[in-house]
Amino acid sequence: MLEQYIPIFLVITIALIFAVVTVFASKIFGPQRPNKSKISTYESGMQPIGTTNERVSIKYYLVAMLFIIFDLEVIFIYPWAVQFKKLFGELGISVFVSMFIFLVVLELGYLYAYKKGGFKWD
Amino acid sequence: MNFTSDLYLIYPEIVLTATLIVVVLFDLIFKRSQSWLPVLSLTGILAAFIFVVMQYGTNLPAFEYSTKNSLLSIDNLSTYFKGIILVTSFFIVLFSIFSSEIKSCKDRHGEYYSLLVGMMIGMFFLVSSNDLILIYLSMELLSLSSYVLSGFVKKSIRNSEASLKYVIYGSVSSGIMLFGISLLYGLTGTTNLNEINTILRGTNVIDISFILSIFMILAGFGFKISVVPFHFWTPDVYEGSPITITAYLSVASKAAGFAVLIRFIKSVFFSGISQGGYWNLLSYFDWQVVLVLISIVTMTLGNFTALWQDNLKRMLAYSSIAHAGYILLGVAVLSDQGITSVLIYFAIYMFMNLGAFLVVMLIANKIGSENIDDYRGLGYSIPFLGTVLAIFLVSLTGLPPTAGFIAKLYLFVALVDAKMIVVAIIALLNTVVSLYYYIRVLKNMYLVKDVIKTVHIQLKPLSFVTILLLVIPVLLFGIYFTPIVDFAKLSIQILGL
Amino acid sequence: MNIYDLIFYLFAALTLISAFFVVTNKNIVHSAFYLLFTFFGVAGIYVLLGADFVAIVQLIVYVGGILILLLFGVMLTNKITNVEIKTGTINIFSATIGVGLFAGVLLAAVLYAPWKVTLLQEPVSTTGILGNLLMNEYVLVFELLGIILLIALIGAASIARR
Repeated sequence: MLEQYIPIFLVITIALIFAVVTVFASKIFGPQRPNKSKISTYESGMQPIGTTNERVSIKYYLVAMLFIIFDLEVIFIYPWAVQFKKLFGELGISVFVSMFIFLVVLELGYLYAYKKGGFKWD
Repeated sequence: MNFTSDLYLIYPEIVLTATLIVVVLFDLIFKRSQSWLPVLSLTGILAAFIFVVMQYGTNLPAFEYSTKNSLLSIDNLSTYFKGIILVTSFFIVLFSIFSSEIKSCKDRHGEYYSLLVGMMIGMFFLVSSNDLILIYLSMELLSLSSYVLSGFVKKSIRNSEASLKYVIYGSVSSGIMLFGISLLYGLTGTTNLNEINTILRGTNVIDISFILSIFMILAGFGFKISVVPFHFWTPDVYEGSPITITAYLSVASKAAGFAVLIRFIKSVFFSGISQGGYWNLLSYFDWQVVLVLISIVTMTLGNFTALWQDNLKRMLAYSSIAHAGYILLGVAVLSDQGITSVLIYFAIYMFMNLGAFLVVMLIANKIGSENIDDYRGLGYSIPFLGTVLAIFLVSLTGLPPTAGFIAKLYLFVALVDAKMIVVAIIALLNTVVSLYYYIRVLKNMYLVKDVIKTVHIQLKPLSFVTILLLVIPVLLFGIYFTPIVDFAKLSIQILGL
Repeated sequence: MNIYDLIFYLFAALTLISAFFVVTNKNIVHSAFYLLFTFFGVAGIYVLLGADFVAIVQLIVYVGGILILLLFGVMLTNKITNVEIKTGTINIFSATIGVGLFAGVLLAAVLYAPWKVTLLQEPVSTTGILGNLLMNEYVLVFELLGIILLIALIGAASIARR
């Protein structure tokens, strides 16, 4: 089975080599004449305001948490879905029920965050 | 395999999960009627308690996936600890009703009660789980809820600090425990406790990696029961958290930790039982020496550090570390008698510790401080609360005629029977040390007159009843203790041995 | 030494070197980005071990999710008290002793442990096996996971909202 991964590995290697070579080649071969406006931050032609690492709102944290939790949910659904036909033959409706309970419990959390105004940005 | 036939064995857990869902939904739908949330939680706890009582005496594996391998074991030990957890939760919900700290966060009560129920579910699975994966997961559920709860009052910096410290220590220790579990899995190829026992009997795996994995898993349990050297979080978290949560952590979470520790030792290392109910353990790991050392250091450190504390909550935190040391001695005897004394101790410790925290909370609601110096003369201005606090503190010391004496008596008898006289003497000396700091509070309350300020606390009927519910067992079990002892003797049964 | 050994050493080197930079780098944001390579290297090692599903999970959850959370965490706490959050090194002596001892014990444990040996077999896709386990032996664990995630979400909502 590991042979299947060789193309992926090759792609990763080529991508890495390409990225490293282009970045460093332009640095080595290209002419470098920096001036003040060249090295300033590019912000769509506007004057940059402040620095880049500002504090962000705590709301982002909730969004990131939600993202991870639903990430995990999908990850648990995936192997279930792959085996669903076989499991349904063996266990019947209870395969469906156990996943349903899992999903209901999780959606309850989503509903909670939504109703409590976790997504309100004001 | 179909597990629907096993569902009746986890009715208490199902009831609690249903409570969790109902609390969350209720909070979403009826935003205005927050005062019904504790009632809902209490109903769920009572319903679960009925099922637990009905389950007592059941001795069956639940979710058995091959012979002798089950995820849960429903036996008397787990049922006993479930009972302790439910009674504690019942009192904690009552406490929360009249805690001014919790009241100050009006719109977040739904979160509070749902996290509380989440903690209960975690502890329920923890005390009956028979599989390392389930042990780890339920411990995570328990920790996760308690991290958030210990920082519940967000406006209070003290709360946030407690929560942050708890998260850091907790995640490190659970990471170490997970590493230990993975090492153990690598050595034995299974996560089931009984199966690990079978493998240990068959082959010779004694070597450094095995010992290391056991120590790492012990670190995870040790964190939950806050024994030295995993106790550093305890004073800060106990001092910073809302008092209801402090009381909950010091009783219920500790009980769950001890239950899983006992089950782990007995299920994994048990090889037979000798005369007098002493366990013969597989000789891979000398539990007795390790546990005795840990418990002696724990109780000595807890008691001596408590001497210097001026904050009553922090003092009670160190005292709870010391009590964890005493209880661990009961485990270290490694006999049925020792476990009996642990069970008796927990039943009594629950009442007296909850009671002490309740009185501290009621006084702090009024005077806004837990400083021992602020307790000057309180014995005269609030005679009832003063007397009750005195009873609880005397009981925590272990003096007759309170229940604390019975708890310590059975512990020392178990120690002496196991010919651990020196250890018993050290524990006794520790008790003498503890007398000093408990009495210091009483001295401040009764012997130091403070004429300038007088405090009047008007007790509501509900809080009065709660105090009576806690103080009567403490006095009653000090005199009439046969039922609790008999009950504990019945409850040491562990499945699969 | 065949091609798989070579790939293993590549990924191991990637993991170790980037982990070293995570620890030594003074800027937390840079550390977080080096962590990306550490996670990635570990994912590669999972693939070599035949744990394909775990490798994908490692990529999706850790590289995709946890790292974002980490970066948000850095950005949330940035400039709270006019103090630039930087990592420093203190107590080098005691730390070296502690870490050295722990590493020695771990190394000894790994080298001399009588690990449970199973016969070498051609790796198969593990997704279906996991699906079977989740629905059969560990269905209780699966439902408990749902509750844990719900509690995590409620806790996060409790912390994040005003």
